[in-house]
Amino acid sequence: MLVTGIKSKPVYAPLHADVRGRYHLMLGHGAGGVALLRVLKELEASAPAALGATRVLYLPQPTMGNLAAAAFASVTPQSGAADAPVDPVQELEALALQELKLFTDVPALLADFSSILEHSLMGTRLYVAGPESFIGLAMKIALEFNLNKDEIRAEELGSRARRVYCIHCRATTEEVRTNIVACAGCRRSLLVRDHYSRRLAAYMGVMVDAEAPGEIPEIREVFV
Amino acid sequence: MNDAQTLVVEVKAIEAVTPLIKHFTLGPPDGGTLPAFSGGSHIVVVMKGAARVHRNPYSLLSPPHELDTYQIGVRRMEESRGGSHYMHDAVQVGSRLEIAHPVNLFALDKIARKHLLIAGGIGITPFMAMLEDLHGGAVPYELHYSVRAPEHAAFLARLDERETGRVRMYYDSAGHAIDFEGLLSRQPLGTHVYVCGPAAMINRVISTAQLCGWPDSHIHSEQFSAPPVGDAFEVFLARSDLKVHVPPDQSLMESIEAAGVEVPYLCRGGVCGFCLTTVLELDGELVHNDHYLSEAERSRGKQIMPCVSRARCRHLVLDL
Repeated sequence: MLVTGIKSKPVYAPLHADVRGRYHLMLGHGAGGVALLRVLKELEASAPAALGATRVLYLPQPTMGNLAAAAFASVTPQSGAADAPVDPVQELEALALQELKLFTDVPALLADFSSILEHSLMGTRLYVAGPESFIGLAMKIALEFNLNKDEIRAEELGSRARRVYCIHCRATTEEVRTNIVACAGCRRSLLVRDHYSRRLAAYMGVMVDAEAPGEIPEIREVFV
Repeated sequence: MNDAQTLVVEVKAIEAVTPLIKHFTLGPPDGGTLPAFSGGSHIVVVMKGAARVHRNPYSLLSPPHELDTYQIGVRRMEESRGGSHYMHDAVQVGSRLEIAHPVNLFALDKIARKHLLIAGGIGITPFMAMLEDLHGGAVPYELHYSVRAPEHAAFLARLDERETGRVRMYYDSAGHAIDFEGLLSRQPLGTHVYVCGPAAMINRVISTAQLCGWPDSHIHSEQFSAPPVGDAFEVFLARSDLKVHVPPDQSLMESIEAAGVEVPYLCRGGVCGFCLTTVLELDGELVHNDHYLSEAERSRGKQIMPCVSRARCRHLVLDL
């Protein structure tokens, strides 16, 4: 059962400003705020007026709202020297943006994102920075609006916990950190593959002991 | 594609729709249906004239769901190398023509949220078929159609009848001009623009769209270049072990075909990249006239599209 080396696994790259865009829409979650700041500084340096055509939607808390906040804390760098958490809110507020909106949960941010896209014009560039599952959910919405690869940039920062889609019962299990997880819908033990669906914003989970019931390989924390 | 894969069709009807454009209806000689196609497709018509063979690409303008005939529009070109004059002057109802199977290099984006179609003159033809694909669907679309004067507006009656409210006409004679910047700067996210017409119009749409921040993946254009004339030159075909003379008014591809060597092709207009040929030796320079190779590929001088490109050289060897 092929787990890695699958082409659908998304590849992300550090964000850079695309000054060919006429409007800029940026979504950030947790540590992603730092990446957005970096792009905004880049934009300010090359095209200062562009900040006035830039909207930023930002969720400072590095959690997925009510989901597994405690588990997340265990993989977030603890306060210490170089990795000290940065709070970009103040710096974002200091920029002359068209709009800065702060959020306290992912669904509210994404709902706002959707309604902005509804009224956006061609010439808009989308930037997303944050945990992979956040990027995936944002991309799923962007896809519905026919945004193509050359209009979207994404940088992965923070948790690599996965959304896992059960190919048997079609339930999605959130915040998966282990190679094998119990499906939130049917409780089958699912092997988490690199096979990714942009439409579902989830990795595929396949029953791991279908052929040899009860034979479950060692469970390890791999998506941190 | 090569001539072994062509179909024979009979000219069923010819109508002069403007002073310069003739509308041809082509069907299988013995009835039946023709291969399926989607809006934006073209065929290559093989015209066996007395002196030479012409192979010209023409967009299909008939509804894609009607396959008992294909319809094409042919504009008489002032500087024709013979193809359009042959269609206008030599082809009659009942004439038989060979055509290559339809190929689509100008397809609608299937998940676009809106389609913006921009036509100039004879560039209306691919849109006539695209409109049939779009008609009655859930995705909004609009056509901006620019012509010299009302008498040059081909297929206007059909557009008026089918597409009321979705077509805007622009007549040069009345001083109308498409406000490209205005149009392209206020399109909703997820719009795709398609342009077919004179080179200047296509370039204008592409550069204006880019200026308005459009990414390339949302900009579509098609322009079949007639093979430009140039200096005569000699080419040696390495695999065929054959020397071929290319006269000033014949393309490299046509000259190679006349010598009995087949070159695979789809569009014959420098668009598709199918006839890409490797240059083995060159003493001189290539004259690239295609819309396919990148600047970097051109400057390397290792590849040529023989359908529209030529050479100014003393010595040229191709891998054919």
